[in-house]
Amino acid sequence: MSEHPDTRDLLGPFVMGALEGHEEREITDHLEECASCREEAQELKLAHERLADLAYSTETPAEDLKERVVDGLPRREARRRVPAWVAAAAATLCVLAVLAAVLTPDLFGGRALASANLSPTDRVPGAGGEVSIQGTGENMEMRLEAWGLPPCKNEQYYELWLVEGDDRVSAGSFTVGQSGRVDVRMNAPNFAGSYPKVGITAEHDKDPRPSDEKMLSGELHEL
Amino acid sequence: MNQVEDEVLVRRIASGDEGALAGLYDRYAGMIYGTGMRYLRDRGAAEELVQDVFTSVWRNASGFDPARASFATWVYRITRNRATDLIRRRKARVRTVDNEPPFESGEMDPSGEISRNFDVAAALSRLSSVHREVLVLAYFHGLSQREISDRTATPLGTVKSRTTAALHALRETMSFDENRWSADE
Repeated sequence: MSEHPDTRDLLGPFVMGALEGHEEREITDHLEECASCREEAQELKLAHERLADLAYSTETPAEDLKERVVDGLPRREARRRVPAWVAAAAATLCVLAVLAAVLTPDLFGGRALASANLSPTDRVPGAGGEVSIQGTGENMEMRLEAWGLPPCKNEQYYELWLVEGDDRVSAGSFTVGQSGRVDVRMNAPNFAGSYPKVGITAEHDKDPRPSDEKMLSGELHEL
Repeated sequence: MNQVEDEVLVRRIASGDEGALAGLYDRYAGMIYGTGMRYLRDRGAAEELVQDVFTSVWRNASGFDPARASFATWVYRITRNRATDLIRRRKARVRTVDNEPPFESGEMDPSGEISRNFDVAAALSRLSSVHREVLVLAYFHGLSQREISDRTATPLGTVKSRTTAALHALRETMSFDENRWSADE
């Protein structure tokens, strides 16, 4: 396959009909002589034809359709009116559950499922931290301990992100005082453990996307 | 850098992550909409198809089993079933007015072309970002190799070799996907 690297590099544009005249003639002449390049061109041609079919069948919907689709999703939680005494009992149970979870964490899935040591970026060389994910089912939470972060000023806050490739999901936001330390628990989606990395950015506005001000990051490891 | 796999996004959707649904929308909505335009021949109905399909994905994500079929196969089946329903409903509605169907009836996708397109879209989403970019610009934006070179500030020779490498990667990914799920089909 690597006998004719210069020719091979052009086989893709060749099967697409995207080469200029002289290049196309050179490849055509070469393929008449070279069985291995001819076979390779056949393979690429199949991929080209499938992709061309896909492009032909694809149309761009109205720009706002995505928003309409997401806005129109049925809510997962049923919003039903419940009697006051039921609500009060449920609230009491929640308080008891939280207390029990704090006092006897292992009984309530308090054992950490995954954790990450956070390393600083050049912005905060003395900072560090740890993140752990614990809980079960819908009761997952992330515990963050961090130190050495600059105290928040004005509207500034920090945001913890679950990271995979280009994908970022916010796990929650927090502020830091003069101590530069934070120890906070946040509710976590039950897919939190499926992300390979976490990161912390400094944020200044309501833009839901992460800012470029990266402060800490680390890789999540299952325990 | 590879994108998050479809099957991982479905798992997140099952946990209520709307952002994951938006990610799958970016990958498949154009094809579902194109299918709707082809078979329903109406912009509003094609949009209804897209909404129905993604609502169904949202509702049924927890029942999706990646060991049995790829997401592309699953969403293709949902699309085919919903489109067939919409065709039947529209035919019935129009017949009450003038007793003529709005278009020829017949089995949807008898040649399997749409099914193949979903598989190709899935394979495309699995490519590295540089490979995906060069193919998307060529096939979906209609750019020439020179225009891609200008757009991405990449030497023309590199664009050509990258295009070749991207088609190779797509071919290999399609073969891998076919083998991965063929035993269950």
